Amino acid sequence: MRLFHREPKVDQLKVVIVGAGEVGYHISHRLAQEHKQVVVIDQQEHALRRISEGLDVQTILGSGSSPEILKEAGVADADIFLAVTDSDEVNIIACLFANIIAPNAKKLARIRNEEYSQYSDELAENLLNISAIINPEVEVIKSIDRLLSMPGAVDFNEFAGGKVKLIGVRIEHGPLVDLPLISFRTVVPDTDVIIAAIVRREDLIIPGGSDILQKDDIVYFVCKDTSMESVRRACGRSLDPIKNAFLIGGGNIGFRLASLFEEKGIHTKLVDSNPDRCSVLAEKLDTSLVLCGDGTDQEFLREENIAEMDVVVSLTSDEETNILTSLLAKNMGVKKTVTRVNKLAYQPLIQAVGIDHSVSPRLSAVNSILQYVRQGKVLSSVSISGEGAEALEAIAEQNSEIVGKPIKDLPFPKGTLVMGIVRDSEVIIPSGESVIHPDDRIIILTTPENVARVEQALLVTLQSV
Amino acid sequence: MRVGYCLYIIGTLLGAVGLTMFFPVGWALYYQDDGLFPLLISTVITLWVGAALFLLFRPKQKMVMNHREGMAIVAVGWLAAGLAGAMPFYFGDVFPSVTDCVFESISGFTTTGSSVMTDIESVAKSLLMWRSLTHWLGGMGIIVLSLAILPFLGVGGMQLYKAEVPGPVPDKLKPRIKDTAAALWKVYVFFSVLLCILLLFGGMSVFDAICHTFGTMATGGFSTKNTSAGYYNSAYIDWVITIFMFIAGANFSLHFRAFTGDFKSFWKDSEFKFYTAIIILFTAIITFAVYGSNYDSIGESLRYAAFQVVSICTTTGFATADYELWAPIAQALLLFLMFLGGCAGSTGGGMKCMRIVLLLKQGYHELFRLVHPRAVKHIKLGGRTVHANVMSGIWGFFIIYMAVFVISGFLLAATGLDVLTSYAAVVACIGNIGPGLGSVGPAENFAHLPAFAKWVLTLCMLLGRLEIYTVFILFVPEFWKK
Repeated sequence: MRLFHREPKVDQLKVVIVGAGEVGYHISHRLAQEHKQVVVIDQQEHALRRISEGLDVQTILGSGSSPEILKEAGVADADIFLAVTDSDEVNIIACLFANIIAPNAKKLARIRNEEYSQYSDELAENLLNISAIINPEVEVIKSIDRLLSMPGAVDFNEFAGGKVKLIGVRIEHGPLVDLPLISFRTVVPDTDVIIAAIVRREDLIIPGGSDILQKDDIVYFVCKDTSMESVRRACGRSLDPIKNAFLIGGGNIGFRLASLFEEKGIHTKLVDSNPDRCSVLAEKLDTSLVLCGDGTDQEFLREENIAEMDVVVSLTSDEETNILTSLLAKNMGVKKTVTRVNKLAYQPLIQAVGIDHSVSPRLSAVNSILQYVRQGKVLSSVSISGEGAEALEAIAEQNSEIVGKPIKDLPFPKGTLVMGIVRDSEVIIPSGESVIHPDDRIIILTTPENVARVEQALLVTLQSV
Repeated sequence: MRVGYCLYIIGTLLGAVGLTMFFPVGWALYYQDDGLFPLLISTVITLWVGAALFLLFRPKQKMVMNHREGMAIVAVGWLAAGLAGAMPFYFGDVFPSVTDCVFESISGFTTTGSSVMTDIESVAKSLLMWRSLTHWLGGMGIIVLSLAILPFLGVGGMQLYKAEVPGPVPDKLKPRIKDTAAALWKVYVFFSVLLCILLLFGGMSVFDAICHTFGTMATGGFSTKNTSAGYYNSAYIDWVITIFMFIAGANFSLHFRAFTGDFKSFWKDSEFKFYTAIIILFTAIITFAVYGSNYDSIGESLRYAAFQVVSICTTTGFATADYELWAPIAQALLLFLMFLGGCAGSTGGGMKCMRIVLLLKQGYHELFRLVHPRAVKHIKLGGRTVHANVMSGIWGFFIIYMAVFVISGFLLAATGLDVLTSYAAVVACIGNIGPGLGSVGPAENFAHLPAFAKWVLTLCMLLGRLEIYTVFILFVPEFWKK
């Protein structure tokens, strides 16, 4: 009989990751930065070398679906098992064996095939005991939808079921330019809006009162859902509802987005270069116009009146094409473009070349996976500005270090900010004097190196069973 | 190359070396001997230089070490540790020249055990303790020790680890480098404590037991007696040291696995099997070679043969017999063992059994391909394919190793030494063994060599311990290009 049960210390957490591709690399990068014990399995030696040379993780060459390899990787004493290869089948089988070897580990699988996802509940609960099934495509559709709801936003995330928003906006004109933060309230009297972070030329700043906003900064606002209008006004933008959209790339994501737009009554044109795919799409979609053509062909785009479109979304699997298409569309007078970029390394460049919105299925997948890896009752976790910072939404538990003290006295490392508190259904944008109560939902912004410390603070240190 | 950043890490390493000097200081206080002042002043200087580098070059933001910097830090760090280690000998007036002090210190850190001390027993005990401690620190590695105790080296620690740990493909036992280093040190300390207790049972004094433990577990070979381990003339001590030299010459990853309950990995490991087989076979041959002519009983022949074979093969270099008086075949076999060395991932030196096993397999592979030109066949070790990159790395190592051997031999012969002594001294130093043949055999020492020869051998010792590449890369022009 155990009288006291100690939660695993954050830095003793062992994570086994199958798949050293883009998703696997970035998750292991993040977790190694947080000093967790990470083992990565992959069949590609060069993919492993990229990881083992740059990161403090153990790598194992072999197939993630082989039980022998899983045992060698020490799955038996792993706390978390992530199957994130490009192949759904390998991921499912890896989880199957991991479940036999380590039934108590938390298991996550990246599964993209729609037919499989339909059975996700059965897979999760009965067959494989998977804690969560991550579908990057679904996640990316959600982020496109969010981005389009706020004009000028380069980044848009929601917490507490949409009650708190974190919006990143590039300031080009309007009252905020050259404003010292100390006089922020004279421009935005609404106390439900605060500035959480500033990204200036790829550097993330957690600002203090003496910082001055500059032109072309990306400012991250935290606000209640009712205060979105204040943010919009401060940035000098107005909301134009989207009436027509032009989608380039008719893959899975293109198809899903077109279906979503159909539901919302947006007039949609969907372009794909493959005639067979086009006929499949035309069969499945009702009101959308399916076009067969090349998204980088200017004549074709002009013919289809692209300049009149409210938004152009380029979603092909080739990111270079997407970037070029978006630049071309901008050049032809489109106000708003959304670009799918897979490589996370391109993320800092995107804004520099003048593309306003980018989405990445892989970054979305990394975000949703990290949320499950977090210790304590973490409800969601979002990367901001590439991977410069992370926003966590968590429940403040009765016995943890953060409850009952004013925020300014919390044991958080420098550069960590409590952005919002949700108590019952009320949202509080906190000041230094606010006190966190048990069972509050709190939203915290922190840098990757400090995540481990924040997690430790969120944990219940001594918990009676 | 960010020179400042490298100096910052080297400063940290020097700080760690400086702290270890307090151990012999304690002995100096206990024995009230002449070593106290030299040790204290060396400690202060080492700590001061370390702290100065650390504070002066402390980076403002977090930096991640790259491959090149890792190599440079390890090579220069070892040299710096060697110089720091020479200071107590210099201030204690143990040797007449700086050359000798540096030679003795580097010989200690690289676990070579070649000595220029003519009368060991007349030197202050605390200085002898420091001399043996350099073995023990260098055996598992100053870097590996630092990785275990200095958490901030974690990022980029793999680069340092790869540059220091012997063997073609270093094993990572635990997901994090810090834990890997700590695991290795725990195993090392465990065996050291065990050996020390066993030696005490054999009648050694505490001081001698600790020094011989350091010499054995690190496969070093410095003794506190003029006649090395032979001084005790005890079968019990000989066999205990033989067994622990054998343990120290095997891969520590295997020991670690055994600690976690996995004893089978010993017998699954081709390198370990080869290492064991060679030692048994050579011991048997030499036993018969010396039986009757040098020793009267078969038991005694076996005891001396086993001790010398294990001592040379693991590159320890303790001696209980003057093998130069043995039959030529015995000497020839021992000379081969000097090249072979211990296992990858052990504290031993030499070329390492794993490389020799793989080279032999490669040789057979070529013959096989002549018979079956269309055969698709990979070189495997323990059931796993060895990647072509690893193989070519081993070839490169072999060629450079032999080149260093040949050229250093020329240089030594140029100073007027006889051919046998010249080449044997080079093998003994580059393989981190200790005694060679000729006038540097087990009954003699290196004191009579000219200063130039000593510097050449000092470089050979560093090359051998850091496995050639880490040191040589500093001399490649490409390395310094932006």
